[in-house]
Amino acid sequence: MQLKEIPITGIPYDQIKIEKVPATPEYCERPADLIPSTNRAVVVNPNRTCMPLGAMWAVLGIRKAVPFVQGAQGCTTYVRYTFCRIFREPATIATASFHEDAAVFGGRRNLVEGIRNLVVRYWPELIGVVTTCSSEIIGDDMVSFIKMARANLRKEIGPEKADQIPIVLVNTPSFAGSHVDGYDRASRAFVETLATAKGEPNGKVNIIPGLLYPGDIREIKHLLRHMGIEATVLFDISDTLDAPLKPPTSVPYYPPGGTTVEEIKDMANSLATFALQPHAGQAGARYLERKYGVRAVVGQPPVGVQGTDAFLKALRDITGKPVPDSLLQERGRLIDSLADTFHHTMMKKVAIMGDPDIVLGVTRFVLEMGMEPVALAGGTASKTFVHDVEAILAEAGYEGEPPLIINGGDLFEFEEYLKKQPRLDLIIGNSRAVDISRELQVPLVRVGFPIYDRFGYQKRAIVGYRGGEVLLAEIVNSILGHQYPDDRTQQL
Amino acid sequence: MKIPIDVIPERAGHLGVVEIPACDQRTLPGVVSQRACVLYGARWMLAPVRNVIHLIHGPVGCAYYSETVRKKRYRVFSTALDEKDIVFGAGQKLETAIRESLSLRPGSSAVLVYTTCAAGLIGEDVPAICKRVSAALGLPVVPVNCPGFCGVSQGDGHDAAAAALLEHFIGRGPAGPPLENSVNILGEFDVQGDLKEIEQLLQRLGLNLICAVSGRATVENMARAHRARLNIVHCGRTGRWLARKMEERFGIPWRKVSFFGLAEAAAALQAIAAFFNRPREAAWVEKEAEAARQRALPYLRRLAGRRVALFFGASRMGSMARAFGELGMEVVLCGSQFGCREDYAESRRCLGQGTLMIDDAHQRELEEFLHRYRPDLLVGGTREKFMAHKIGIPFLVFPQETSPYAGFNGFVNLAREVAALVGAPVWRLMIPANLVEPPARREGPAGGDSAAVKTVGDGKGGNEDGTNL
Repeated sequence: MQLKEIPITGIPYDQIKIEKVPATPEYCERPADLIPSTNRAVVVNPNRTCMPLGAMWAVLGIRKAVPFVQGAQGCTTYVRYTFCRIFREPATIATASFHEDAAVFGGRRNLVEGIRNLVVRYWPELIGVVTTCSSEIIGDDMVSFIKMARANLRKEIGPEKADQIPIVLVNTPSFAGSHVDGYDRASRAFVETLATAKGEPNGKVNIIPGLLYPGDIREIKHLLRHMGIEATVLFDISDTLDAPLKPPTSVPYYPPGGTTVEEIKDMANSLATFALQPHAGQAGARYLERKYGVRAVVGQPPVGVQGTDAFLKALRDITGKPVPDSLLQERGRLIDSLADTFHHTMMKKVAIMGDPDIVLGVTRFVLEMGMEPVALAGGTASKTFVHDVEAILAEAGYEGEPPLIINGGDLFEFEEYLKKQPRLDLIIGNSRAVDISRELQVPLVRVGFPIYDRFGYQKRAIVGYRGGEVLLAEIVNSILGHQYPDDRTQQL
Repeated sequence: MKIPIDVIPERAGHLGVVEIPACDQRTLPGVVSQRACVLYGARWMLAPVRNVIHLIHGPVGCAYYSETVRKKRYRVFSTALDEKDIVFGAGQKLETAIRESLSLRPGSSAVLVYTTCAAGLIGEDVPAICKRVSAALGLPVVPVNCPGFCGVSQGDGHDAAAAALLEHFIGRGPAGPPLENSVNILGEFDVQGDLKEIEQLLQRLGLNLICAVSGRATVENMARAHRARLNIVHCGRTGRWLARKMEERFGIPWRKVSFFGLAEAAAALQAIAAFFNRPREAAWVEKEAEAARQRALPYLRRLAGRRVALFFGASRMGSMARAFGELGMEVVLCGSQFGCREDYAESRRCLGQGTLMIDDAHQRELEEFLHRYRPDLLVGGTREKFMAHKIGIPFLVFPQETSPYAGFNGFVNLAREVAALVGAPVWRLMIPANLVEPPARREGPAGGDSAAVKTVGDGKGGNEDGTNL
């Protein structure tokens, strides 16, 4: 890759214009009216996938749980493939294996026999039944099918064993919403099916992290530990999808960790539920609030200084426990890093893409670094996204050129818009922006779901103060690596 | 002979140590199947076709996942069906999407429209729409009939894709006499430069490649494909059907060969040379093979007697089994997701009796196999990789991720990489010998000591207590 010109002494950054020539030789001008995704029927490089993935992600965060996908084999295989590539872990997901007969006669046989086969082969502690577009279009009556499956199971393995295995149904028609909504629906389905009020509060808080990586969940637990707060993390993938290699194991393999069924039952008795990603988890939090009066705290993810501050403040207000010195030390280190690197990040033009909550959290953080957002692309259409972005910009007192806000559009629109920009210094997003970054010759900082082309991103955190330092370092280093030739890096 | 691992009764016929396993059947519901859907199969085959718009007529997820094939990303267009389309139909949307994608990417020479489960279930007449749009636009708009449930495995998707290629692309150019010394390769996907290796070998025989389906397939070169003298079938599952049809239609003879392994590659080149009546020009083949064997020798020493398990998509079982034989390794398992009788018969011929063969193995069976046999290497796809690692077994991804394995140079690459994987220090470091009392090592004789590994819930009345050893 070619290095860019050295910024010339005496000329401020915003006056340096670098001619961008698209790297692809066959690049051609696109018809302008077809660029916004709202103007066309065709979707090019979608920035989201379908609902079942989110629900499967959720189920894999439960201890010894297996998702059962009521659909064709691809619905499972593609998701397993995606999880394998992101987490580098085995993903045990059972399929109902729809073939032509299921399309004609419905999926009852597949579910009843499938649950039985799954149980005798895996003895899971919970089964999460995830529907797909096929089963929803056929109109499978899942609730009664599950009853039949349960009756069949009682016959085959005896009622005691059969009744020990909860079966949770998550309706995820793939033709609506996105993977983020699938996770959201799962959060509601699980608390709706399992949570039961005992009458006495348990003094814990519930955390629904949303589609955050194992490293992020470990960081959230670290914050809670230092606050001295006991918590139930719903869909805790921190161990299940980042398990140590310690053979020998038993057959079948189950990863350690995960939220237990007992913990989910007890979620109805907690002090509050924190949905760290409003688009993925809010439904569960709201349900607990409505049904059991467990307060729902729905805010942006704890990314950056203000994001983490807000999370800790809410924790303090609800539990009455003070924020300890150890966390204030961590905060101080992040603030110090921000101060030390500000001159590298200020006035840099940045484009951010990904799931809406990640985009919101990261946008707030980059504004703290003095960067200027050029385009913000949330893959999942949302009622609140545009408003939230505007609120964040107003909060930061941002006075630059207003960024393009894409609410649910595809990556083609994002890419075409960026190509027209006179300057862009950085893209923050997931692995699906790699091609755009290469085409525009702008570095990419990887954040969010999915990251499959680099190793280790699922193990580290971007949330919390320590996560903020990691992300800040990566942003600064990307800028330095790209904008300065080698001899200047020595003097920084 | 007894099947050495526990299976559900319905699965018993799919495993065998003597006979050929039952195959080409529907997957049992409820298992963690390693198979994929028909759309996956169609994309596997068609994704590399260049200069063409790939339009997925289905929900957004199908398009999202279809972008990545064999770890490469391709640009994919999609109708992204939503609730409204499911209820009221999406014919108009499809038509608009085809037109729009052409104006976003002018200069494309055809449009491939893939159907999905959702499109199949709402009952859109996609072929009719394609025909109409094609007539209006004056370029081929080709329906690929591949709803995910429309077959037993991705193999049916390969067939659907091959049918689409045959009907709409292959031999569409002007008729003419066969081009001298020209061949096609069917069922070669150019993984990590395999095709280049093969092409170099063919060039040394004085042969030209017209097109490789679909590793190097464009609308233009497929249109000329009917003028080849010979079709070389590399992957049987994806190429054989096409070869037969091309023989019927254009009278092109075909040979099923394999370029994996020294003996196979040499035999392949000699067969091709014999077909073109130039045995003398193939004199270098033996020499090259011997030279490659010499280069691989240091690695072969490290691999002698090691045991390898193979679990592939389908038809490379037999030829890869032979290649691993040449590495001096013992093949203890040969299985596939969707192999057909021909594939299994070929593998059985080269492995002989006594080697376990599994058709459509699901994760649980593979897991148990790995525990009982403890092979030194499992070869398969990404979905099996991480399970093998958790059990402590080295893994080789095939189709490969690093360098070409085809041809003579490819064999040296294979030997080098397998030797490195099997000898990786991590498997020695896995047990923290200095820190804790080491657990009793299980030596893994074939046939399995079932006492060593605790199996949970085999058959109907199992024990659900899955504690570690």
